[in-house]
Amino acid sequence: MEEEVKNNTGQNLGIAALITAIITFVLAVIPCVGLMAIIPGIIAIVLASVGLSHAAKTDSPRGVLVAGLIIGIVASLISFSQIFVAGKIAEKADKWPGRIEEIVTDIQDKVLEDLEDASVSIKIESGDEKIEINTSANKKDLIEKLEELEEEDTVVADTLDQE
Amino acid sequence: MKFKKKPYLIINIVLTGVILLVMIYSIVFSPDKDDYPVTCIHEKLTGEPCVSCGLSHSFSLILRGRFNEAYQWNVYGMRVFLFFALQLIMRIAFSLFYVRFTNTRKQLMIMDIIGSILLFLIAFRQFFSYLIHYS
Repeated sequence: MEEEVKNNTGQNLGIAALITAIITFVLAVIPCVGLMAIIPGIIAIVLASVGLSHAAKTDSPRGVLVAGLIIGIVASLISFSQIFVAGKIAEKADKWPGRIEEIVTDIQDKVLEDLEDASVSIKIESGDEKIEINTSANKKDLIEKLEELEEEDTVVADTLDQE
Repeated sequence: MKFKKKPYLIINIVLTGVILLVMIYSIVFSPDKDDYPVTCIHEKLTGEPCVSCGLSHSFSLILRGRFNEAYQWNVYGMRVFLFFALQLIMRIAFSLFYVRFTNTRKQLMIMDIIGSILLFLIAFRQFFSYLIHYS
């Protein structure tokens, strides 16, 4: 009677180990939850190991236990490898900010170049009233305007001198 | 017949329960509310989405019949969902065969193991190649 109870304990541990190992295996392959799978993986290995020691004492069948142990170990290894995968991707991700900075600087330079010859027109309408503002950032226009202003006679007639 | 002496049946019953839990999880949590308790650890660590991101959304959408949206959330969602659905049917069918045909139990179990491994490899092929590619 006592031996039968011991045999059942070993078999129950084997079933528990095998089920945990199968679930761990499926979880370990999915990257989103792969890292978490290491916990049930260790549980499966422990259950299978305890079951195997029971089976060695009582000389009961070990098929399910060995299957649970092997699947548990493989699943834990896959789960553990997810750490390396995450590490590699994080390493790649670290290089991204530098590249993004380069791209942003390029775009900024191009936009500034385009804006050099840009002209802006703003129209505001409110009922019958209308305001229109026209401005140009054209470099050539600005230079011409500056030259015109410099050529203009800047001497303002003083009323006191005239008298 | 005592279940205690039939590990195959116990394993099948427990796995059926686990698959049903996955289905219930996908039905209970809504893709529109986006209230899933499980978040991607991979994305949290690396800041980059992984190959399995959006799988929960995809499962929920498949169960609601919105297949196009499910495909957009995760390209491999349908394949993985079909694996779980097939496994659910297989667990029930193989258990019934196991009880009914006592003479062919060994062959049935071998067929089940080989079939399940093949299905698993087909369904999770992309996840394996992702793992191999980055490790």
